Amino acid sequence: MTTISELNKKKVPVVRIDKSLNQYSNVVLFPEKVEKANEMLRTIGLPKEALKESRK
Amino acid sequence: MNQPKYQLKADDILSTYEFLSEGPKGKIEKLIQFTPTNYYDVFNLAFGDKDSKTGQIDDMVISNNGDSELVLATVVSAIYAFTDKHPDSWIYATGSTKSRTRLYRMGITKYLKEVKSDFEIFGEINKTWEQFEKVVDYESFLIRRKKQ
Repeated sequence: MTTISELNKKKVPVVRIDKSLNQYSNVVLFPEKVEKANEMLRTIGLPKEALKESRK
Repeated sequence: MNQPKYQLKADDILSTYEFLSEGPKGKIEKLIQFTPTNYYDVFNLAFGDKDSKTGQIDDMVISNNGDSELVLATVVSAIYAFTDKHPDSWIYATGSTKSRTRLYRMGITKYLKEVKSDFEIFGEINKTWEQFEKVVDYESFLIRRKKQ
């Protein structure tokens, strides 16, 4: 049986699903940040070296 | 990361997370969101405070609740949860201000060894991506989960 202490040490957290948060699922909460991300990606794309390499 | 962190709640699709920051300023609701960008499998990561009265989200507010390390560890924990569900996704992140971006860099630097064992991390400087290095003042970050 997994103890609370063991659960706390796991990298992937135990996440409780809260239906009330579904109200945000299709809402962009930080539009300026997303716009900035799109602009940056449009300008410089993704790291070329990472795209060439196979996943480690 | 084996660090203290707040308990996370999430929506059904694990794109929006909520946790409660507790400190001298009281309890502050915080929201983390992974939002799709215009690019396939690239998501923007952002988080901010939720005003409990108005429901408005503010990513510029300085909470000063004395728990910034705990908050950062919780955000990292959300990244683990999100990339567990979306293992091929890229996550783009930048701060709302230069000082906040620097805070993120310091957070990554502090746990770099551990973070690098699980993620590929790139920093953006002068409109170029490079492998994350400790001392460079990056303007934004891009991370992806390594295949285990």
